[in-house]
Amino acid sequence: MSQVDCRKAMAKLDEYLKQELTPDLAAEVRRHLEHCRPCFSHARFEENFLAMMETCGRKETCPEKLRAKILAALKSEARRD
Amino acid sequence: MGASGGPKIVRAIWSSQTNRGYIASMVEPSAAGRSFDDEALPHLDALYRVALRLTADPTLAEDLVQDTMLKAYRSWRQYRPGTNAKGWLLTILRNTFINDYRRRKHEPVAMDLDLVEPHAIDRSPQETDPEGSFFSQIVDAKVLEAIDALPPDFREVLVLSDVEGMRYAEIAETLKIPVGTVKSRLFRARHQLQADLYAHAVEMGYIRPREART
Repeated sequence: MSQVDCRKAMAKLDEYLKQELTPDLAAEVRRHLEHCRPCFSHARFEENFLAMMETCGRKETCPEKLRAKILAALKSEARRD
Repeated sequence: MGASGGPKIVRAIWSSQTNRGYIASMVEPSAAGRSFDDEALPHLDALYRVALRLTADPTLAEDLVQDTMLKAYRSWRQYRPGTNAKGWLLTILRNTFINDYRRRKHEPVAMDLDLVEPHAIDRSPQETDPEGSFFSQIVDAKVLEAIDALPPDFREVLVLSDVEGMRYAEIAETLKIPVGTVKSRLFRARHQLQADLYAHAVEMGYIRPREART
């Protein structure tokens, strides 16, 4: 099995952070990050960025009034069928 | 965290919330029996958020979501049960936006962004704050404002990937663009946003720019 070097770790970082890698490859990337300070920092940077995007981006939810309006519209569509 | 107890790189964020319903519906064996409500309603929050980012106007966003849901309902027979409902809905939302809404909004005429050279990439965020701790200090409103300031083609890829947690292939399918284009737009969108937020963080005094340290 080929070792994960800096280039490969960084190429796979996004999928690693999104947990889309196979367990084996994810373990290899993690091993690299544990031993490579620059790659580790870079991963933390991207991880902090993604955490910010997720927490802030997902705070907005569909307003209840809109949800109710849509449900009502769907109901009247269904009656027409 | 991980089995090795090593760096806390893996956070269980991507498998949470948003994708759950979608993944559940993919493995649902009797998906054919699922109703429109079961498949579509769990994605209302995501549709609303994406609509907000596309229109940058809460009233338009509400209209867009409602139009999308009605169109989706009417073409429900075209949906293949158990496939990517979220992507299917977002495709309808996006087409509706392009056809009916874009001209209501004063969006600058889009350039072919994939031909534009990437921003001279500003390395200073990572040189000054290698682990990006400043990101957590930026208030939500500022983050959203900075996202909304991105060119539309960058913005939508970024939102689908980094806010809604969609995979490259799903985004490519939703936007009808190659996976390579998804990746390059995402890369540039992130760099631009990171540079903008870094400039903001410096301005607000959350971090001291490199010059101040030397």
